[in-house]
Amino acid sequence: MTVDAPTRWSAEMGPSAAEIARREAGMPTPLVGMLLFIASEVMFFGGLFAAYFNARAAAAGEHWGPPPPAHELEMLPIALPLTLVLVASSFTMQFGVWAIRRGNQRAMRNWTAITLLLGVIFLAGQLYDYSILGFGINSGVFGTVFYTLTGFHGAHVFGGAVGLTILLARAMQGQFSARNHVAVEAISIYWHFVDVVWIALFTTLYILK
Amino acid sequence: MRPSPGRSAWLAASRGGPLIAMMALLVGCGMIPPEPETETAESVFTLYNIVFAMGVAVFVGVEAFILYAVVRYRRRDDRLPDQLHGNTVVEIIWTAIPTVIVLILFVAAAVTLGRVEERVDDPGLTIEVTGFQWQWQFHYLDDDGDDRNDHTVVGNPASPPTMVVPVGEPVRVELTSSDVVHSFFVPHFLIKRDMFPPGTEGADNQLEFTITEPGTYSGQCAEFCGDLHARMTFSVEAMERAAFDEWLAAAKAGETPAPSGQAGGPTLEIAADQIAFDTRELTAPADQGFQIHFVNLEGVIHNVSIYGSGNEQIFIGEPITGPDAEITYQIPALPPGEYTFICDYHPVADMTGTLTVE
Amino acid sequence: MATTTLAPRAGTFSRSWVLDWLTTVDHKKIGILYIVNSFLFFFAAGILALVIRSELAVPGLQFVDEATYNQAFTMHGTIMIFLFVVPVLSGFANYIVPLMLGAPDMAFPRINALSFWLLPLGGLLIFSGYFFGGAAAEGWTMYTPLSNARYAQGVGTDLWLIGLTLVGTASILGAVNFIATIFKMRAPGMTLMRMPIFVWTVLVTATLILLATPVLTAGLIALFIDRNYGGAFFDPATGGNPILWQHIFWFFGHPEVYIVILPAMGVVSEILPVFSRKPLFGYRAFVLATVGIGLLSFSVWAHHMFTTGEVFLLFFAFMTALIGVPTGVKMFNWMATLWRGSLEFTTPMLFALGFITMFLIGGISGVMLASPPVDFHLQDTYFVVAHLHYVFFGGSVFGVFAATYFWFPKMTGRRLNEGLGKVHFWIHFIGFNLAFFPMHPLGTSGMPRRVADYAPEPIWVFWNLVSTVGAFMIAISVLPFLVNVVATLINGERVGDDPWEANTLEWATTSPPPPYNFDKLPPIRSERPVFDLRHKHDAEHLAAEPVVVREEPA
Repeated sequence: MTVDAPTRWSAEMGPSAAEIARREAGMPTPLVGMLLFIASEVMFFGGLFAAYFNARAAAAGEHWGPPPPAHELEMLPIALPLTLVLVASSFTMQFGVWAIRRGNQRAMRNWTAITLLLGVIFLAGQLYDYSILGFGINSGVFGTVFYTLTGFHGAHVFGGAVGLTILLARAMQGQFSARNHVAVEAISIYWHFVDVVWIALFTTLYILK
Repeated sequence: MRPSPGRSAWLAASRGGPLIAMMALLVGCGMIPPEPETETAESVFTLYNIVFAMGVAVFVGVEAFILYAVVRYRRRDDRLPDQLHGNTVVEIIWTAIPTVIVLILFVAAAVTLGRVEERVDDPGLTIEVTGFQWQWQFHYLDDDGDDRNDHTVVGNPASPPTMVVPVGEPVRVELTSSDVVHSFFVPHFLIKRDMFPPGTEGADNQLEFTITEPGTYSGQCAEFCGDLHARMTFSVEAMERAAFDEWLAAAKAGETPAPSGQAGGPTLEIAADQIAFDTRELTAPADQGFQIHFVNLEGVIHNVSIYGSGNEQIFIGEPITGPDAEITYQIPALPPGEYTFICDYHPVADMTGTLTVE
Repeated sequence: MATTTLAPRAGTFSRSWVLDWLTTVDHKKIGILYIVNSFLFFFAAGILALVIRSELAVPGLQFVDEATYNQAFTMHGTIMIFLFVVPVLSGFANYIVPLMLGAPDMAFPRINALSFWLLPLGGLLIFSGYFFGGAAAEGWTMYTPLSNARYAQGVGTDLWLIGLTLVGTASILGAVNFIATIFKMRAPGMTLMRMPIFVWTVLVTATLILLATPVLTAGLIALFIDRNYGGAFFDPATGGNPILWQHIFWFFGHPEVYIVILPAMGVVSEILPVFSRKPLFGYRAFVLATVGIGLLSFSVWAHHMFTTGEVFLLFFAFMTALIGVPTGVKMFNWMATLWRGSLEFTTPMLFALGFITMFLIGGISGVMLASPPVDFHLQDTYFVVAHLHYVFFGGSVFGVFAATYFWFPKMTGRRLNEGLGKVHFWIHFIGFNLAFFPMHPLGTSGMPRRVADYAPEPIWVFWNLVSTVGAFMIAISVLPFLVNVVATLINGERVGDDPWEANTLEWATTSPPPPYNFDKLPPIRSERPVFDLRHKHDAEHLAAEPVVVREEPA
């Protein structure tokens, strides 16, 4: 019954040149991982958005839109400028990616620093906004949903800012090049995702109120 | 000599057959739901039996094949069998078989569902059923719109309530909860429905049943609701309409308001919140009447009752439901000794204490 | 081929040996860590099951009070599902999937280690409630408002929420890793439609984890906010909705059922062909059925909520009925694989056949519950408990034991004793049916689940006692298994690299495999490359298959 592993093999270990070409033709594995991770993040925010729309549906009998104090949210003077800051940071991030694809380390470094700065401005603005809002996480279902949604988005921005800091530190040491910059691509995808989540949040919380 | 493969399979089957049939019978008896006692229960019962019979047929067919294969195709030599990878026609056929089965079952379910969910415009009797941790309240609605003269039954874990209803006419129960999710379940009615606290979006559940035979049927909360979930039982007693009317009239007449006269003696203070008394020790003077001023701070039913050392009833306090409800109980004179005071509705450690009379 | 010098020497508990296991990023070691860790939690949750069954042996309260009982069944369910069945199958997948694909490791070895180590951490947090005034006691479904701060005051529930969030994060990271591995790390010639069925089931499972678990995480966090920061997600008094929790929980919870059962189906689909000496009948149909179950699993969640009266009954009943079709197809495929095969009844084969027969019962009771009017009667009774144990235990756990006996020689080079294995199987099989079949008649006769006590009706008294006897039989059946594992590790039969004459790539390397798995790979021209190699000369079935891999060196 017992047999040993077959002893005649077709190819030695180690990928052939054709195999290497085939693997490199596709998307780099870290980017695949990042995209899959973002898919799970979409579902996470989907769960929280479901809570928002559930609260909204429950209040629909009384009036159009989400339950109070949703109407207290104002686009100006804080939310809209912060939105513009975050959207702008997506552009600066992408300029950095394009720069490193061309092999321009210096431009990439500068764009990354600007992106990080914009991210920090967004976070600071968000915290300031929290401090002047007239309701808290415990003032009814809308307060809970609002702070949870924007709070977890803020946490994601913070995570992105940490990632950007690491990118910047590595860029300072000249670790990225036109051929080798998969971390830059991965962080940029994440940063764009965080931006898109904010646009969805801004639209539902501030525009469709 | 080894018998031919085919024959040995048959032998095994003929030996095992009666045994399997007997087991199926034994098990089958337990697998049929209780006798249905309402009109809708009868249609659910029929549906259950159809679904169950189909399940048994599938089970017997598949298991018989596996047993046959196990006996018939066990390894006898080292030859490699035919390497059969698949067969499109066969696979299409056996995709169709379960499709047809589940579609038949779905249509049968949809038809029965229509009957179960049917509601009449004017039921013969409507009862508001409220579940609370951990018992039931049945509130018999009448037509005068005045709640105060309605008959209400409140159970406690030691003495679960009985819902008395007439037979042969639709009875509607409107289901709510005063705290967590409960579920109204009477096995003989073959139905249950969850009960949600007020404010739950769209959760105004109700059931309607027409009981066919007089009798007493036990019921129980089916949704896990905390410590004494298992003791959240009740029963439904069905009787002819005339007997029911008589019962209801007598029940209403017997409901005299609790005496609230101000007698002498000291007043003990106790309050309930978060399913707990604020004190677990009370002290009262011996051989003289006294009062207990009881405040219920939460929207949950509580009372204060006093039991002797042999667990005999001494005083059963009228239950109140807060928030911020209060009542003063008049307690008769007691001989010295240790007594237990308890909330009959929540006989847990936090709502049990010692009354020392000295 | 010699095992390399990097392999640990047996029996020396040196510091470096311990450190090696604590810091390893080798998918095989991590896989074994998963499996060992999961079995420890299995035994803990099994003891809780004995507490439950002892209390229910006869009516009345004998051994524990209600609070202890409620903690016991809550922890039993939580641990068994989140810390045994899911991770143990992840462990086998961790070990086997890279080998099956001809890959040197997982795509992200360090993330792999992280997702393992989060598990015992989360599990211990969940358990630690016992040391802080009582574990969570609201059932593994944690329904609100019962789990709100008002009704569940202990810190055990908060620890449960935090621990489960960690466990969920671990499985999300693991899912990312599996999917990336399967898409990026396959050996030359290993096309998607040549992947072993086990890999397919892991792929679909990982996708379900990736998309369903984050929703649970959102729910857990929301409940935590409700409990600790005055949130109002699930509190009707402040505009929240307790039914929202049920939607969130079951949107995750139903895919979770398939997360648990699909890899076990994959295990069985690997084992049946090996011991029937035939290919799996209808490979393509099986792949389609697996993907189909994955897709449908996101549209059936509310069949857990038929009795709430708040869901669109007919839609969910229809989708649930539909999911019976791909499951039925799989059943037929397994049967046809046995058909005219050459069956050898080794212990893994017995457990695989046990899986088919027991899962069939769970599937049939599932179709019964899919019918809303029938569900109105059976929901929240012991019938549901019977159903879920026939799926989780009769299905997944039988699959886990089949996998253990099947792959133990690959992991250690030694085969578990067949005699003890068969003793284990039969005590386990009989005990399982004694324990869980009686729950069907208990349920149909109306005994609710999650009760510490029940009315002394003759039929309830009888069947509960039978069930308790069965539960202890299951516990006893673990003894021959443990003895077998220990004895085999010390002094088991060494059986070479491919003791079962198996089909898939993991058998084309040494047992245990060296770091980075393969020195050489055979050509991959079908889903059974090792079978093809063994039967190179008499395999006409290969003639039709085009050769797309590199040529053999002279």
